[in-house]
Amino acid sequence: MTGGAALEIVETGWSTTIQDRGRPGFAHLGVPTAGAVDQPLAALVNRLVGNDEAAAVLETAGGLVVRASGPVLVATSAELAPRTLAAGGELTIAVDGERTWSYLAVRGGIAVETVLESRSHDTLSGIGPPPLAPGVRLLVGIDPATAVTVDVAQQRRPPERVRVWPGPRVDWFDIDAMAHLTTGAWTVGTVSRVGLRLTGVAVRRQADDELASEGLVAGAIQVPPDGQPVVMLADHPTTGGYPVVAVVDPDDLPALAQRRVGSTVRFSHAQ
Amino acid sequence: MSPVTVRDVGPLARLVEVAPGTAAAWATALRAADLPGIVDIVPAARTVLVCCGDRSTAAAVTSAAAQIDASTTGWAVDREHDRAVVEIPVVYDGKDLDDVAGATGLGRGEVIARHTGSSFRVDFCGFAPGFGYLGGLDEALWLPRRSTPRTRVPAGSVAIASEYSAVYPSVSPGGWHLLGTTATRVWDVDRDPPALLVPGTEVRFVVA
Repeated sequence: MTGGAALEIVETGWSTTIQDRGRPGFAHLGVPTAGAVDQPLAALVNRLVGNDEAAAVLETAGGLVVRASGPVLVATSAELAPRTLAAGGELTIAVDGERTWSYLAVRGGIAVETVLESRSHDTLSGIGPPPLAPGVRLLVGIDPATAVTVDVAQQRRPPERVRVWPGPRVDWFDIDAMAHLTTGAWTVGTVSRVGLRLTGVAVRRQADDELASEGLVAGAIQVPPDGQPVVMLADHPTTGGYPVVAVVDPDDLPALAQRRVGSTVRFSHAQ
Repeated sequence: MSPVTVRDVGPLARLVEVAPGTAAAWATALRAADLPGIVDIVPAARTVLVCCGDRSTAAAVTSAAAQIDASTTGWAVDREHDRAVVEIPVVYDGKDLDDVAGATGLGRGEVIARHTGSSFRVDFCGFAPGFGYLGGLDEALWLPRRSTPRTRVPAGSVAIASEYSAVYPSVSPGGWHLLGTTATRVWDVDRDPPALLVPGTEVRFVVA
């Protein structure tokens, strides 16, 4: 069902996709969960326009320009307040200096077909609606007939230290691996929907054996042979063969996922 | 029955360590325990990962795993569903058939006979949606992966590597030895379930 209006994609920067809460429950078939990298922020922009938190939103890392075909109520993660876009009106989401992932919600949600119960594009497997490109027209879903009860939202303050739990393979590493992880400063090297690569003084392994591939969660910190940790994000593979030294506390993962390339990350031992 | 090792994977998931070849049975048994709040159960080569929506369910998984004897309960549950053996017709025209024949010291015909003569079961899925790792390969065909992976393996390629066989569900890079091709679609998002080769499924390859 659609509400008649549409959003036309005018310009897209890097990693601009449709996302919702993803497709949990299919990991045993090798299907990544996907979904918005920053779930609380995607839920917030949805609430700002009176949507169910599961409505599909636009996510971008490199910026986005959309044009409305008719009047629509929208909210972005940059403004965190609802506003009406008139017919023909354009809205720009610039690259955010504070975070990597920005969101745009439209009242009614993005009404593309679901694939395996989700409207999320999965960059790893390609499942779901294709990445957005200029000229694409996205129908807006039917008005949810709810009252808009939030008009200005408080921004979350990111934690100074990201809490981590010892991982299932912490015993594959030097005895002080957790201390090493939580005392050092880490720099965000690269980031994608699949994962966030950190650089710093290498985490050293004790065991040289090859690990049989095993299931992964978002927030798992894998350590490849070079000792530079990789934090799994929304589109992470369902299984992986590098040992997981630690796991980011789920409450702190969205903030970590938002850290921009070049920024410093510090961890603390979760209790 | 030895006590099972269950490792914490953060506050919302547990990793159950199991004997090789039993992960799918364990996954079935854990699913049958029917704990509310379980989101995903992911069998792999020697583990089963259980992902939960809340911390108390994750804690309950640890105690539930200790109660399970998957060697008896897992396949019993499956048999109730009376799953049929999936037969996959294969045209044995794979690019690596001659290399496999050479490396194993078997002739082409014997490689095909050993592959069609193996009784497979899907141990787990991974690598790509619908990519099932089929355990049960005749030991004479166990070979390490190709030293140089291919950048593009066509969908429907039937391949082997180490103790597994597989059917590539979609076009992808791949380092397995290609024995042939099948027209059977092992992955279709419009089908329920989308994967033909779900963990626990018994599989045989036949000459097309």
